[in-house]
Amino acid sequence: MSDNVIIRTENLCKYYGDKIHALHNVTAEIQRGEVVVIIGPSGSGKSTFLRSLNLLETATSGKVFFEDVDITDPKVNINIHRQKMGMVFQQFNLFPHMTVLKNLTLAPMKLKKMSKADAEEMALTLLDRVGLKDRADAYPSQLSGGQKQRVAIVRALCMSPEVMLFDEPTSALDPEMVGEVLAVMKDLAKEGMTMVCVTHEMGFAKEVADRVIFMYDGEIEEVGTPDEIFNNPQSPKTPQFLKSIL
Amino acid sequence: MTVLTFAKWIVGAPAWIASLPEGLQRLIFQFYQVFIYENRWKFFTDGLATTFIVTIGALLIGVVIGMIVALIRSTHDNQMRKPNIILRILNSICKIYVTVLRGTPLMVQLLIMGFVVMVPKTSFQTTLCAIITLGINSGAYVAEIARSGIMSINAGQMEAGRSLGLNYAQTMWHIILPQAFKNILPALGNELIALLKETSLVTVIALQDVTKAAQVIVSKAYTAVIPYISLALIYLVLVMILTKLLGILERRLRKSER
Ligand SMILES: Nc1ncnc2c1ncn2[C@@H]1O[C@H](COP(=O)(O)OP(=O)(O)OP(=O)(O)O)[C@@H](O)[C@H]1O
Ligand SMILES: [Mg+2]
Repeated sequence: MSDNVIIRTENLCKYYGDKIHALHNVTAEIQRGEVVVIIGPSGSGKSTFLRSLNLLETATSGKVFFEDVDITDPKVNINIHRQKMGMVFQQFNLFPHMTVLKNLTLAPMKLKKMSKADAEEMALTLLDRVGLKDRADAYPSQLSGGQKQRVAIVRALCMSPEVMLFDEPTSALDPEMVGEVLAVMKDLAKEGMTMVCVTHEMGFAKEVADRVIFMYDGEIEEVGTPDEIFNNPQSPKTPQFLKSIL
Repeated sequence: MTVLTFAKWIVGAPAWIASLPEGLQRLIFQFYQVFIYENRWKFFTDGLATTFIVTIGALLIGVVIGMIVALIRSTHDNQMRKPNIILRILNSICKIYVTVLRGTPLMVQLLIMGFVVMVPKTSFQTTLCAIITLGINSGAYVAEIARSGIMSINAGQMEAGRSLGLNYAQTMWHIILPQAFKNILPALGNELIALLKETSLVTVIALQDVTKAAQVIVSKAYTAVIPYISLALIYLVLVMILTKLLGILERRLRKSER
């Protein structure tokens, strides 16, 4: 297998009962340094797929390889691998009882045994890059949605992950705040971060994505460069979907 | 021991009392008889000490048991896959524990512990028996309160913690429990207040708590009004102080989110 592949899934299936096939035989690869955007109608399995990558969702069958390790093997300590997979949620999921700084330093201090001083210095540097250094001592409830999501991105970055997973990071935001979060994500992409991103922001996909995965009914319907997907789709369902979200 | 009569008392009473109307004199006599004569107030203070010890001891046991049971129950219910056999057995034990302890009266539990299971001989053993019984009883209520607190935290919090690489226990400890604790503090406060008042039932295993003290004084002074009204006031004041303290704690915790 190419050593440039960071995540690979093999025949991933997720069934709820007999009827609901949230995922059906999904086989995919994510290359190092690549930005992959996942699009598809509601209920097509985008979140389920993304959350299967760090095992927040346990697949019914199939395998997930992360850096060539089968992390679906129950003997594997998933916590170690999750440290290298940052995740950003639609609902931010910041820890409301901690200041921004504490949100950022908790995991590095507990898991990487970083000193408080080192962890805070790193957190402040990263916060500065998203323009929120002055909010370090605020509590999440004192931040706007856009600020919350930028903090959430920084929280994941504080673990120095190999890959970042985004599940509709801008969908819970007021329209005027979408831009600031997308800007941070574009910066990340420019720096070469490996990103897997579920989003409805087609502008972002066209501009930043190396590849776009179009999911339909729990399966990958089509994969291609943004140009292929948006301008020359192979499946008739692709333009149908794209038209529907305009 | 001789019974003090009003006639005997008024003779030796200070002069200023003699000048009061008779009704007031009789009231003062009753107070004298209940609190001062033969240092009877000591029954109340000794009894209060026992009440405190039993309340605090039972609280500690109740919180420890309650937390453990709540963690087992919610961990079991949170499992995505089928929980393993040990967890399932523990969960069943916890369920039975909560059902039995909440399904039988505390009075009956005290009788069983006091006269069937532990059968304490010394007053130390009796105190221990009371603490353990009340603690085990309280644990069942704390467990349900704590479980509801843990369940009330959005699943996204656990996911966020786990996605960073924290394990289940770390996420529970640093992220879920602090938030849950804040949410359940009012309910825990109610449980503490209930516990304090329920310690009055330990009289059935002959423990000398503050309620027993009042009963003893009634039997000595042949009057029930002042001892029992005083007893009620003692509990009332204690509960009001507790309520105040809990309010302060709650406000402190809330402040951290603004
Ligand atoms: N806990 C569950 N129980 C039963 N069905 C579920 C559960 N979670 C998800 N599903 C189903 O699995 C399918 C895929 O859901 P998923 O959340 O992955 O879709 P999605 O593409 O992310 O949709 P959206 O754009 O609305 O977020 C849906 O049909 C959904 O109803
Ligand atoms: Mg989704």
